[in-house]
Amino acid sequence: MKCKKVHKKLIFYLEGDLPEKEAGEVAAHLAQCVDCTAFANDMKRTLGVLQIEKSPEVNPYFYTRLKARMENRETAPKQIIGYPVWKKVLQPALFSVLLLAGVYTGFKIGGMANAEQSAQAYAETELVPFLNEMESEPIETFLME
Amino acid sequence: MSEAEIIDKLREGSEKAFRELVDQYQQLVVNTCFGLLHNTEDAEDVAQDVFIEVFRSVDKFRADAKISTWLYRIAVNRSLNFIRDNKRRKWFQSFDDLVEAKKKSLGELVSGNTENPEFDLENSQRSLLLHEAIDALPENQRVAFTLNKYEDLAYKEIAEVMKLSVSSVESLIHRAKKNLQKKLYYCYKKKCI
Ligand SMILES: [Zn+2]
Repeated sequence: MKCKKVHKKLIFYLEGDLPEKEAGEVAAHLAQCVDCTAFANDMKRTLGVLQIEKSPEVNPYFYTRLKARMENRETAPKQIIGYPVWKKVLQPALFSVLLLAGVYTGFKIGGMANAEQSAQAYAETELVPFLNEMESEPIETFLME
Repeated sequence: MSEAEIIDKLREGSEKAFRELVDQYQQLVVNTCFGLLHNTEDAEDVAQDVFIEVFRSVDKFRADAKISTWLYRIAVNRSLNFIRDNKRRKWFQSFDDLVEAKKKSLGELVSGNTENPEFDLENSQRSLLLHEAIDALPENQRVAFTLNKYEDLAYKEIAEVMKLSVSSVESLIHRAKKNLQKKLYYCYKKKCI
């Protein structure tokens, strides 16, 4: 059997689909051909991945999630699992409080002395972009996520 | 509960029967979806759609059929639809996004299998290659091959799921393997792994 013919039959040989006589011929060729053997090994390893990855683990939360989805299918969008709700609500709230406090103290400090006017201007330009960002993405969008 | 009992109770809207159905067939459905989608999260999402459809259309179920055949059929159809929708979405994605997505899925394959020492980087690359080769198959070949490989279904069962003759399934799987072999040989020659 020639290499080219072996290449065409290799997958069927590895899968055990070949009749006995042909399988014997392929085996005989492989025994004396390095190149075909290398390809056979390569293909065997690639096809072997199928066996490793089939039957993924059963997700124990599958039914709970399914029920939840059936119950509020029309009303609520899909929930992002594994991200605590308090984080979604509290984090942006905390940030905005900190930001506002920062702005407030910024103006206070700036207003205390005229000599510090340049500092005030600096603080303002630093803060304005952040403020604008908050405006363009209101807190409600964080909460609704 | 027997198959017939599950179906009868499902028709009455019994939650217990539904739970039993899911418990019994969850792995079958998720596995089938996974074989076509190659992603656990997507497979579980689509599998849930399958069970929701089953719950809502149990009246259409023919009493003489097997539940598994019915589930396989819905799982295949839903997965193929999911792929079609995804393709449409990908069409609008830039090439960079696709490359990023590829990298990400490779990373997930490696990190998602930490408990499985067999699944090292090389296997992950082989897995991607194999998925690509399977995805490139014509739809019928892909379905027949996947049911045969991921679910170990006999040709006769595949024929029932796909509503084809056994000899058509045989020929589909034969052609699928031929096509895969071509791809794998090409990759072997180019040393892509
Ligand atoms: Zn040779």
